[in-house]
Amino acid sequence: MDYRAQIGIRFITRRKGSLIAASLAVAIAILVVQVNSVIFQGLYDAIVRDQINYRFGHVYITRQEDFITKSDFMLVNWLQRIPYVQAAAPRIDASASINATINGQIIRDYAVPVIGVDPVLDREASTMSQTVGDGQYVSFRNSAVLGAIVDRDLGFPQVGDTIKLKFKDQYGNDVLRRLTIVGITATAGSVGLDNSVIMNIDTLREIIARPHQTQSIIVRLNDPSKDKDVKDLFLSAFPSNADKFKAQTIEESAETTLRGFRSGIALINLVGYFGMMSSAFAVVTIQMMQVTSKTRDIGVMRAIGAKRKDVLLVFIFQGMVIGAIGAGLGTVMGVTYTAYAKETHMTFQGSLPLEVKYNWTSIIQTDIMAFILAIIASIYPAYKATKLEPVEAMRVG
Amino acid sequence: MADYVLEVKNVDKVYGQGETEVYALRNLSFSVKRGEFMLIVGSSGSGKSTLLNMIGLLDRPTRGKVIIDGVDTSELNDNQLSSFRNSKLGFIFQFSNLLSDLTVLENVTLPRKIQGTMQNATEESKALLKTVGLESQMHKFANQISGGQAQRVAITRALVNKPAIVLADEPTGNLDSVSAETTVQLLKSLNRKLYQTFIIVTHDRHQFGEVDKVVTIKDGRIVKEEMEASLT
Repeated sequence: MDYRAQIGIRFITRRKGSLIAASLAVAIAILVVQVNSVIFQGLYDAIVRDQINYRFGHVYITRQEDFITKSDFMLVNWLQRIPYVQAAAPRIDASASINATINGQIIRDYAVPVIGVDPVLDREASTMSQTVGDGQYVSFRNSAVLGAIVDRDLGFPQVGDTIKLKFKDQYGNDVLRRLTIVGITATAGSVGLDNSVIMNIDTLREIIARPHQTQSIIVRLNDPSKDKDVKDLFLSAFPSNADKFKAQTIEESAETTLRGFRSGIALINLVGYFGMMSSAFAVVTIQMMQVTSKTRDIGVMRAIGAKRKDVLLVFIFQGMVIGAIGAGLGTVMGVTYTAYAKETHMTFQGSLPLEVKYNWTSIIQTDIMAFILAIIASIYPAYKATKLEPVEAMRVG
Repeated sequence: MADYVLEVKNVDKVYGQGETEVYALRNLSFSVKRGEFMLIVGSSGSGKSTLLNMIGLLDRPTRGKVIIDGVDTSELNDNQLSSFRNSKLGFIFQFSNLLSDLTVLENVTLPRKIQGTMQNATEESKALLKTVGLESQMHKFANQISGGQAQRVAITRALVNKPAIVLADEPTGNLDSVSAETTVQLLKSLNRKLYQTFIIVTHDRHQFGEVDKVVTIKDGRIVKEEMEASLT
């Protein structure tokens, strides 16, 4: 082993208090970044997950400024022939007014979004059907699933009750329809369709006078990384200049929702990296103390022939030891916390389950950054050590 | 022509400037032959340690030259001085000044590691440690041995690079009388055995008995230079 590395390692490992303090400073900085990642990246990923599961699928197909007039049957069949596609399902959106009870008072003309789903295909393409806690998912023509918020606002009607909704068809005519409640859907953090009414797509098409029309097709993939491929395949088969189709990946379709979160995560990460800067200051302080306590040894080394750069390297190696131990410790702490979050199905504010992943790229990046920062933080103390003159250093020590 | 290993020529060392100027050394000149055992004696504050720092290239003279093994050291830059100290000089300090985080053996081999000539270094270091009777202590850390033992390790460290000159600053100053006597005998026997040049700064000239040369310093000047003939 290089003697400068050996001395650097001995200097710091035989001062356990300094080593523990400096390594902990680095480790805690890594832990902060990891905790931020687990919580905020987990929250972001959870929102993406739920947007995929409930609203957009991995690829979301619409038609620019209009309804899709091509046969949904044909489009779904075409999509399902792509090997990456697990399922596809059509949806159509509308709105209706409904009698609602809020704080014990009946509020009329309570507007509610209504989503028409295919009772069979939607079970494959989304997980909405799994969010029905009471009753079942949409099945027969006049069945409806109420979102939990709508159910609350209506005064908690039960499965089997009927509700009356007033729609407007595409020509502006009012259409009244009585639907039977078959289920209540509730999603964690209300990120699903809790404020909507879900009903049979064919019934809704008929009510709003848009037979055979579709508003969107959600496509679920068995390999989410192929979303761009599927999008491109679809747009090449159905060119936008002819059919005016629009195909979007989840990042594009949920952009409005995710944009705010992304900037929030960037801010939180910034806070984490500022924490890392604080740890660098701790390393500088501890390394300065090391230089002070080793002044005599530095003088002796210089006297017996060590050059200034050799002294510099001793403290740089010392910084590398601090960085390596801190990074190792921080990784263990961070991975332990991630495992805990994963095993306990950690939720955000007690409702939305976080999408916890072992993001090894991020972990390794953070470790490397912390390691390099520990080395950078050692440069100034190391430089100060090189400025010591042998005679003075041995006298002080 | 005499084989001088050290020539000190008209060396001044001045601290401060103008009215605060203080001469630590004033116009010092002497030379040392290879293999000589020389003492620099003087009372406290006489300038003997300052002189040793000049000879040891740990400090630069304000004026004059220090020539070691034929090399004018005033021409050397900082890195060259470090290399020169490593290869040509061995140091023994009053407080052994071993690195407490290294073992005895690691302390002894350190100059060789710095030099980058590790071939046979461990074996040679072990042999030297055996010479000074410390082979059983070589794997102990430097702070786990006694003061007398530490000083013997320091002597071994000073010799491991086979330097042209071994410089010792009050090598017995921090030892009890028994350890001091052992150290003196060790230095003298190494001088005879290895034909190694020793320059020793001491305030106790009589502790060393018969030597080749004694330079007495007072107020930064040489007041007496005694050679072997006059000493015996």
